[in-house]
Amino acid sequence: MSERRSPGPGAVIMQQQSASGAPHLSSQIAADSRRPRARQGPLAGVRVADFCWMGVGACATRLLADFGAEVIRIEDRNRLDMPRRLPIYKGEARTYGEEDANPDPNKGGLFNNYNRNKLGVTINMRTAKGRALADRLIAASSVVTENFAPGVMERWGLVYDRLNELSPNVIFARMSGFGHSGPHAEYRSYGPVVQAVSGISHISGLPGEEPSGWGLSYMDNEAAFFNASALLTAIYHRNITGVGAEIDVSAVEAGINLLGPILLDVAVNGRSTRGPDYPPGNRLEHPDAAPHGVYPCAGSDRWIAIAVFNDQEWRGLRSAIGDQDWTRDPRFSSQAARFANQEALDARLAEWTRDKDRHELMHALQARGVAAGAVQTTEDTIDHDPQIAGRGLFFELDHPVIGEALFEGTPVQFSRTVQENWRSAPLLGEDNAHVFKTLLGVEDDEYEELAAEGVI
Amino acid sequence: MQPQSGLPHPLTGLNVIELAEDPAGEYVGRLLAEMGARVIKLEPPQGAPSRAVGPFARGQTGPDASLNFWFYNSNKASVTVHLGGPDGTAPLVALLGRADIFVCTLQPAALKAAGLDLEALTQTFPKLIVLSVTAFGLTGPWADYKSSDLVALAAGGPLNSCGYDDHSIPPIRPGGNQGYHSAASFAHIAVMLALLERQKTGLGQLLDVSMHEACAVNVELANPYWFYPKVQVKRQTCRHAQPSPTQPALFRCADDRFVYFVLIVAEPKSWEALVRWMDGHGMAAQLTEPDFSDVAYRQANFDQIQELVECFFLVHGSDEMYKEGQAMGLPIGVLNAPEDLFADEHLIARKFFVDVEHEGVGTVPYPGAAYRFSTFGEVARTAAPKLGADTKAVLAEFATKTTEHA
Repeated sequence: MSERRSPGPGAVIMQQQSASGAPHLSSQIAADSRRPRARQGPLAGVRVADFCWMGVGACATRLLADFGAEVIRIEDRNRLDMPRRLPIYKGEARTYGEEDANPDPNKGGLFNNYNRNKLGVTINMRTAKGRALADRLIAASSVVTENFAPGVMERWGLVYDRLNELSPNVIFARMSGFGHSGPHAEYRSYGPVVQAVSGISHISGLPGEEPSGWGLSYMDNEAAFFNASALLTAIYHRNITGVGAEIDVSAVEAGINLLGPILLDVAVNGRSTRGPDYPPGNRLEHPDAAPHGVYPCAGSDRWIAIAVFNDQEWRGLRSAIGDQDWTRDPRFSSQAARFANQEALDARLAEWTRDKDRHELMHALQARGVAAGAVQTTEDTIDHDPQIAGRGLFFELDHPVIGEALFEGTPVQFSRTVQENWRSAPLLGEDNAHVFKTLLGVEDDEYEELAAEGVI
Repeated sequence: MQPQSGLPHPLTGLNVIELAEDPAGEYVGRLLAEMGARVIKLEPPQGAPSRAVGPFARGQTGPDASLNFWFYNSNKASVTVHLGGPDGTAPLVALLGRADIFVCTLQPAALKAAGLDLEALTQTFPKLIVLSVTAFGLTGPWADYKSSDLVALAAGGPLNSCGYDDHSIPPIRPGGNQGYHSAASFAHIAVMLALLERQKTGLGQLLDVSMHEACAVNVELANPYWFYPKVQVKRQTCRHAQPSPTQPALFRCADDRFVYFVLIVAEPKSWEALVRWMDGHGMAAQLTEPDFSDVAYRQANFDQIQELVECFFLVHGSDEMYKEGQAMGLPIGVLNAPEDLFADEHLIARKFFVDVEHEGVGTVPYPGAAYRFSTFGEVARTAAPKLGADTKAVLAEFATKTTEHA
């Protein structure tokens, strides 16, 4: 839990924001703890002019911010980032289609989730002064990131050659659905569209039924991770060669990479995935695991996943089931036999699991060497999972409007590298004064003018 | 984007020793190989377990015919070593003395049984980056629990969001080893961070990646929905799990294929584009009437609109709907099957697939790199190694190096 301190000089910045339309802010806020500081971590010293927005871009640059980069989110007051607008608020349960017409830009939980450890400034890029200010920020940065629809950066003249002039050997990361070349480069996309086009929705579902696909924008996250890796690789490369790079990541192409071996089955064997036997639902085609499925447990919509890969694991499962005749059925006597008779096996197993507690059963099966996992909800993983709690995956940070909130950490324990969680997400324009005056040297009167003219 | 300067690949000169038994460790090894690292895969004499997993190439069998192995192990070298013999882990440790990165997927009990202490390795070899990628991490009460892709997706949370509207059907695993891929994504990020750290300090470290946790942070909106309003999302057919039900987003087309399209009636621009599009095919029916220009009216008559849109898609081909809809500026996606991708005009124009020669099989198209850099091209793709193909050469080379070093 972050420490609450008495307001210091930083409080002045916040009061200015209150005057310019940001919501009421308590003067008790720990302004000192929010003041930008020298960062630690392997990326300390790397400044990022971050034009990213929405999920993919923000999730990618979050990884840079977590590990020491000075990531400066550039936002537009007149076109609020979607995660600032989505109604994911404390104490209010709404589906994300149900937006406010005039949302409080500092209240959105999703924005807080994606933008911790970053600085935030506002620039109106539709004004010449705004674009000139952005140029100064780019000149003071060594990495530029964006995930706009193709053409937006070009409209502002911010192509690689220009960026490289402003900041020699800059790294420019472009994250889009389809990549920046080819006939579909301009296509509009978000997670579910990327999942559809790349094939990873089609390969998910019960055989012969419509695809069940994904219940989340998996490819927003995964494209973000690919982008983060690419950025880290480019920075590493520049540290060796001194040379920057333009990076073009297509989320669809990342998705195709994630299809896995089925893609080679199609390419090499001419396998059709449109037949009545594909996709395999919760069963595996390879190896011949059986039982391999998701079985009902006690409670409403409660389930357990069980995967048995060999005779030894089957014996473990049998010992948990106890002395029941059906487990001795010759149809289930070998891995190959069980695989061939999954329909009957699944029915028997589901009967047995139906009245069991999913967590108790998971532990009982694991104790007998059987891979089993309760289908956990986020309430389970965030609030109750002892494995996750013990490793400190989720952590808390305070936020001036939202208050204390939980955050998703990095699923890695580093013995040396430090993840410094110094601040929750920036309020809209929270770091304007710091970035424009302190970092870029904008004079007080010019700063006031830019604010008055709506440039920042 | 054509690479301009042709610089060496970023990880050129780095030696990676991979002791991986699952797709998470093997995939991260492949990703490092594709950035120029030399990845040496250590296998027991009978081959890594992944060689025994199908599908297999054209009815062939044996350790060199697994497409599962091919997919995750291109651009690597294969060295067979017997680690359980009288020399114990000595053959491995000898290689690690000259390595930059050690990828290891053994869980704690297996490490102990093999006589491997990862923490101690980082002491012995201070510059070595030890990348452990396991089901649950190296510590904690579940550290030795067994897992699989399905089990990881279940316990980590993503599975709870995936499946059908009908909740008598269990949650359905999304295809393609995504639990393992999630772990590999974070393992790749972790190892790049460690390489950057090493550039600054000269020191390696131990990285302990948990597939369980990688899944737990890869649920997208489900986490913030619990962090903030404390609500649970409920799975729906091929669209976002939500706190409350939303309308279907899969539309069946005339060719019995699907498109993904979210019908948004509240936003004037996309509404007008949709009506213009349907009208162009003579199928907008009453939607062109003035009443429908009012959002409230549209919302009140949503079912009527949904039905007309369903009819519209049902009489047109999926590919036509995808391209036309996108041309209208609507975010619509066709549900491609893997076999459709090789003929996709966009992917062809971008030269996405890369050809890999396989002895006895011919040229096989592999997915190209997911990221393109202006300063260097893709590493030339080579087929996954035959079992033990590089044993002699690598062991001889490393023995020489060690002697030189001594």
